[in-house]
Amino acid sequence: MLLKTKKLMKAFGGLKAINKVDFELPANEIRGIIGPNGSGKSTFFNLVSGVYEPDPGSYIEFDGKDITNEPPHKVGELGLARTFQLLRLYQDMSVINNVMSGYHTLVPYSFIDAVTGRKKIWDQEKNIKEEMMELLSFVGLADYAELNASELSGGQRRLLVLARAIAGKPKLLMLDEPAAGLSPVNVDNLMKILMRLKEKYGLTLIIIEHILKVVMDTCSKVTVLDHGEKIAEGTPTQIKDDNAVIEAYLGKKMDDEEMRKALAV
Amino acid sequence: MDKFKEIIRQYPFLGFVIAFIILMLVPSVFFTDLYQSHLASLICINIIVAAGLNIVKGFCGQVTVGHVGIYAVGSYTAGCMFLYLGSGLWLTLPAAILIAGLFGMAFAIPSFRLEGPYLALATLGGGEAIRLFIENGDFFMSTYGISNIPQPIIFGVPFDTPDKYYYIAMPIMLIAIYFSFSVLRSSVGRAFMAVREDPISAAASGINVKKHKMLAFVLSAMFAGGAGAVYAHLPPGYIHPNNYTVIEMVTFLAMVVFGGLGHIWGGIIGAIIITIVYDLTRPLYEYQLFIFGLTIVLTILFMPKGIGGFIDKYFIDRRFKTKTGAASK
Repeated sequence: MLLKTKKLMKAFGGLKAINKVDFELPANEIRGIIGPNGSGKSTFFNLVSGVYEPDPGSYIEFDGKDITNEPPHKVGELGLARTFQLLRLYQDMSVINNVMSGYHTLVPYSFIDAVTGRKKIWDQEKNIKEEMMELLSFVGLADYAELNASELSGGQRRLLVLARAIAGKPKLLMLDEPAAGLSPVNVDNLMKILMRLKEKYGLTLIIIEHILKVVMDTCSKVTVLDHGEKIAEGTPTQIKDDNAVIEAYLGKKMDDEEMRKALAV
Repeated sequence: MDKFKEIIRQYPFLGFVIAFIILMLVPSVFFTDLYQSHLASLICINIIVAAGLNIVKGFCGQVTVGHVGIYAVGSYTAGCMFLYLGSGLWLTLPAAILIAGLFGMAFAIPSFRLEGPYLALATLGGGEAIRLFIENGDFFMSTYGISNIPQPIIFGVPFDTPDKYYYIAMPIMLIAIYFSFSVLRSSVGRAFMAVREDPISAAASGINVKKHKMLAFVLSAMFAGGAGAVYAHLPPGYIHPNNYTVIEMVTFLAMVVFGGLGHIWGGIIGAIIITIVYDLTRPLYEYQLFIFGLTIVLTILFMPKGIGGFIDKYFIDRRFKTKTGAASK
C-alpha cells in the first residue's frame, strides 16, 4: 500500500470533520474522492499532507513510513505532492520560478555551495531550468515561462499548479478539485494531460472532484465521504448505483409526481 | 555583447572583478572633495544593509522594522571590541557579523507565529530595546558614544581619511553583493520567495518554512552587522545611539521599497538614490522622516515594485514578445 490511514480522526470543536476513516491506496491507482460540500474531503487531504495535525489515535502511513505527526515539508520531501482548492500559486513569481520551487527537495547542491556561488551551481541551475522548461512545454505553458503567475488565465493557472506539484517527482499526487471552473474543453484537455503525466512519471493519483464525468472516466476506484465518514468505496459503476451515495451526494431521479411535490413545498 | 553576458553568467566572479576595477577608478575620476568620498563610503555601507534587508523583507516577505537594532549591534560590537580589546576592523568585522547573526536568530523567532504588521511591531520593539539598552549602558559608554574607533592599516598605509576609507568599504560591499546574488539566485532564494508568496503551499513542496525564515533573518542580520562594523570604523570613527533610531530604519526601508522589494538590483539602486537624497535634505532635518515616510507610501501606491519593477517589466515584456513572435512563425 502506498498510502494507508487507520482510524483517521479530526474534530474542530464539536464537529467531527473526519471520523474514523480507514483508507488504503495501492500504487499506480487513480482514486477519486467525492462527497457533498463539507463532507471532509479537503480535510482528509490536509491531514494526510500534514497541514492539520490529526487527533490522537489516528495513524497515517505513506510508502511504508509513519507520517502521522510529520510536518508538511517532511511529507512533501517523502514524495507526497498535493494541489490546493484555492490554488495557492506563487502569484508574484515567474511561471518558471513557480515550477522550479516545486523542485526544491531534489536540488543537488548544498546551502554552502549556494552561498559561495560556485560555478557548479550555475550549471546545475541551468539543468534544472531545462528540465522544468520541458515540464512546462508538456503542460503547454512554455511560452509563458517568464511571465508572472498572476498574469495567467484561470485555466493556465490550474495547469501551472499541476506542473508545480509534479516538479518534485512525487510518488503520490493529490489533486483538490483540479477541474473546478474549467470549461468542458479545458476539462478534457486537463484529463488528457493528467493521464499522460501519470504514464510518464508513474504517478499514483487521488482526485477530489465535483465534475462526475472526470471521476467516472479516469478513476479506477472511488471513495465517497459524507459527514466525515466513509460511506462507500468501489468502482465508479458500483458507486453510481449505491443507495447511500445516491442519498447523500448524487441525488436520485425523480418522477413527475415527486417533482411536483418537491416544487410545491 | 551576448557573448560577454554569457561569460559573466558562467563566471559571476569575473563580473565582480570588473566592477571592482571600475569602482576603484571612480574616486580619481569623479570626486572633487573629501566629502564626496565620505558619501561614497556611506553609500557602500547602506548598500550592504539594503542588500541584507532585501533578503528578509523583499525575498522572504518578513516585515522587520528592527533591523536598525541589529545594525547597532554590529557597530557596538566593533566599538566595544576596540574599546576593551583594542581590536581593528579585521577582527571586529567577523565578530560583528557573527554576533549580529545570533541576534538575527532571536529576531526570527517571532516570525514563526506573527505576520505582517504584528511582526513589524514585535521587531520594532526589539530594535528599539537594543538602542535603549545601549543608550543606558555604561558598558557601551551610554550617551557619550564611542569615539576614535581606528581605521585599518594595510602594509603600513593608514586608511584614515574618507577618500582612503572608500577603498575599504567598497570591496566589502562588493563581497556582500556577491554573496546576496549567489544566495538569492539559487534554490534558497527561490525557497525564500515561495515562503513569501504562500507558506502553506511552500511547505507542501517540501520547503521547510521555519528553517528558511530563520535563514533569511540570520543572513540579513549578518549583512546588517557587517555594515554596522564598517560604519563604526568610518572616519572619524564615532558611534552614538542616536545613529540607530527609527528614522534610520525608515531610511533603510525606503531604500528597499523604492528600489524594488524582491529585486536584487533594486535594493542597491535604492540605497544609492536614498543615501544621496538623505544627504541633500540634511538642511531640512525636521522634515526628513516625513519625506521618507511619504516616499514609502507613494512608492507602494504608484509603483509597488519600485525601480526594479520597471527594469523587470522592460526586459520581461521584450522576452515574451520575441518568444511568442517566434512561436507564431
